[in-house]
Amino acid sequence: MQIKQIGVIGSGTMGSGIAQLLVQSDFATIMYDINEDILEKAKNSIFKRLDRLKEKERLTPDQWSKSKANLTLSSQIKDLQDCDLIIEVVPEKLELKKNIFKEVERICQQDAILATNTSSLSVTEIASSLNHSESVVGMHFFNPAPLMPLIEIIKGIKTAPEVIDQVMNFAKQLHKSPVLCEDTPGFIVNRVARPFYNEAIRIMKDQIASPEQIDTIMKKAGNFKMGPFELQDMIGIDVNFSSTKSVYQGFFGESRFRPNSYQERMVQAGILGRKTNKGFYDYE
Amino acid sequence: MSRINQVIIIGHNPIAKVLYEKCKRSGVSVFWNDLSQGINADVIIETENSNREEKKKAIQEIEAAVHPETTILSTVLRLPTTEIASWAQNPSRIVGFGTFATIERTGLVEIAPALQTNPSHLNESKGFFRMIGNVTEVVKDEVGLVFPRILAMIINEAAFALMENTADAASIDEAMKKGTNYPYGPLEWAEKIGLEDIYAILQGLFDQLGEERYRPASLIKKLIYAGWTGEKAQKGFYYYQNHLRGSEVSE
Repeated sequence: MQIKQIGVIGSGTMGSGIAQLLVQSDFATIMYDINEDILEKAKNSIFKRLDRLKEKERLTPDQWSKSKANLTLSSQIKDLQDCDLIIEVVPEKLELKKNIFKEVERICQQDAILATNTSSLSVTEIASSLNHSESVVGMHFFNPAPLMPLIEIIKGIKTAPEVIDQVMNFAKQLHKSPVLCEDTPGFIVNRVARPFYNEAIRIMKDQIASPEQIDTIMKKAGNFKMGPFELQDMIGIDVNFSSTKSVYQGFFGESRFRPNSYQERMVQAGILGRKTNKGFYDYE
Repeated sequence: MSRINQVIIIGHNPIAKVLYEKCKRSGVSVFWNDLSQGINADVIIETENSNREEKKKAIQEIEAAVHPETTILSTVLRLPTTEIASWAQNPSRIVGFGTFATIERTGLVEIAPALQTNPSHLNESKGFFRMIGNVTEVVKDEVGLVFPRILAMIINEAAFALMENTADAASIDEAMKKGTNYPYGPLEWAEKIGLEDIYAILQGLFDQLGEERYRPASLIKKLIYAGWTGEKAQKGFYYYQNHLRGSEVSE
């Protein structure tokens, strides 16, 4: 099967980023959301970004008009019935995702590929309530999706090998770098990056060095682009804390992933990083 | 702070060699594994990371050969500075430092006083690194200090992921470079540094802090037993993976 028509379910930051990437790569894309206002706003933001790309001459006028023509909006899930690939990008709530996939399975073609952009849930579990759980695969994009080169392709326990091959090839057609990963907590990036934050916080709480010192050291001794504390402030203390908790719980309390109580105190205090003007640093 | 005219470097591992080359380039008089001129030395660098008894012996031999007030810098990847100082007749002159043989590519070296260290020796240590072209950051004493410790923990996690076949080595490295902008993938980074130093930090943290969190991945230990310790040995995580794949094919 060749992937021609794609459906994107959800039009938040990630959903609209993925839809933009798809239309720019010249795939006919239907972006679906239940709320028509949100859908319209998402379309406007995609179009604005495409306009800027044309101004910067990163898109030719022809690519620009084709990209826009490739995008269709819908608030009716049955409009996704002819899609070869459906990418689900809704909030990280297991029941919500399972229910959406059940609906999708009812309307879509038998050989359609159903991809979830989950970063923290089990692909195997999301697929579990479907008749064709072998069609479900994880496609974990990184934000902003049009720019970040990586896509983690997650193989659920029941995912069919042909589905993996098709999705790997598809990611290459998007000019991305797909990496294949077993369905394990945090996949690769969110798992292997845990110590960058966890160990930095532990070192700070053990009074070995200050956040400023640790950031300086990691950049000047380790050549990291950003230090662990400035990066947490950018990501959001709450977002980072919930990633850590989810990997920790996913591995049944493996101590390498144990969060620090100080992260929870910061979240309780509403000190969430740049978005609140205060995190490990002040941004007033 | 006095002028540094003569430096002696003790140890056979890659960091000893790199520091020897850097000293030579800076124009200072430098001896490598030669304490015969010890009495004239201004700074001694001791670099054993893997074997506690050898490190202890090295510190004692250095103390027997040099002036009682000469600064001794010692690597603290495997042990805290305070433990190293506890073996010394004059513990106030022991200063810990933490860096890898990849120091050439990096500008910053962390140094840490023992609880017993006199500040004058800390200043002498800063002066030494300034002389060879490295800035310093003074942190509190703990095994692996900051960057070596955090990196070792990232590499340990990547090694667990590889060992469990979560993904192959190239995918793990690529994911960390392209998904989160790391300068190197953790497995290739470990091969550049040498697995012995990574293991020294993990085992050192595990011994010092006594927490399961720091247990080294069994795969790292096995690679060291096999001598597949990275670029220097021309074998490491990647060789292990391809070797295993090869043997699966031949079965």
